[in-house]
Amino acid sequence: MNLTIKCEKRDVFGKNASRRLRREGKVPAVLYGGNEPSTHLAIQKKDVFGILRSESGENTIFKASFDAESKDTMIKELQTDPVTDEILHIDLILIAMDKAVRVSVPIVVAGEAVGVKTEGGFVDLITREVEVECLPGDIPEQIGVDISDLHLHQSIKIEEITFPKGVENVSDPQTLVVLIEAPAKEEEIVMEAEEEEEVEVMAEGEQPEVIKKEKEEEEKKDQEASKEEKKE
Amino acid sequence: MLMPKKVKYRKQQRGRMRGKANRGSSLSFGEFGLQAMEPCWITARQIEAGRIAITRHAKRKGKLWIRAFPWKPVTKKPTEVRMGKGKGDPEFWVDVIKPGCILYEVEGISEEVAREAMRLASHKLPIRTRFVSRKSREWR
Repeated sequence: MNLTIKCEKRDVFGKNASRRLRREGKVPAVLYGGNEPSTHLAIQKKDVFGILRSESGENTIFKASFDAESKDTMIKELQTDPVTDEILHIDLILIAMDKAVRVSVPIVVAGEAVGVKTEGGFVDLITREVEVECLPGDIPEQIGVDISDLHLHQSIKIEEITFPKGVENVSDPQTLVVLIEAPAKEEEIVMEAEEEEEVEVMAEGEQPEVIKKEKEEEEKKDQEASKEEKKE
Repeated sequence: MLMPKKVKYRKQQRGRMRGKANRGSSLSFGEFGLQAMEPCWITARQIEAGRIAITRHAKRKGKLWIRAFPWKPVTKKPTEVRMGKGKGDPEFWVDVIKPGCILYEVEGISEEVAREAMRLASHKLPIRTRFVSRKSREWR
């Protein structure tokens, strides 16, 4: 909460100006929320890394200072390059400290499951983030799930997780969070390997069904029927 | 081998592979994955070869997701046939891969095993790839 990031107001837009900004080590950003008009900003890249590397990560609340004023904000959306992982753009949202916000909090698994230790299974973490609603000051860094009592084929759903005080779950309570799965049996793998060759041979000459053909046949039938009617 | 069950049209035009992936570029299911760094057509055979390499190395542990699917038919004319007389018949199926696409994802195995499995799979593919994990981002 004590984190203050110095931002600059931006009055040139578009990809050329944004690329120039990125070359200077800055990230283009936009600040919106509340009833105020949106503001275009530029933030130093190292400051953004500082926010993202903090323990609360993307859910960190910080003060964005520009034009002699500072506002409570948090990251709403982060655009990154899929190949270089470079941060391209940030959406910041204004936060009112007395109004509840919806955020995604990471789920962290704690303990080693009985199903993994003695029964040869593995942990399949199905849901990695859960959406919660709480006051900005109460946002948890992570939500811990203890899996040490889980046996093979046993699971934990969101409804079974205990959330901290003041934090309310918004996701579907029936969503699976973690499941102890059994690895594929040796017999199945042998069968698969045998099938592979057969499938390959079959697939060589096979062609998928063309959806259009059915329609054409139907249309032909309709046309023939209409012709017969005319003749009569 | 992978191919669609139903298609609307038997043959397709070749198209272009411009730009980077704007979807399917982040890990959605597993802890580790293999990401394409170059654009290419990946054939159903190559996808299958990569799958076999991963499952063999992981020794039936963990879970694998194949994110690439060969939706696109590629036609070819028979040998010693004169030009013209229409487009050839569908010969094989490919997926159009753009830089950033996640090709495989794995879960339930250690990073070392996953890294080696992905390395073996990458040798079955015609492009440069990289190993990605949920912790491998620049700021983490």
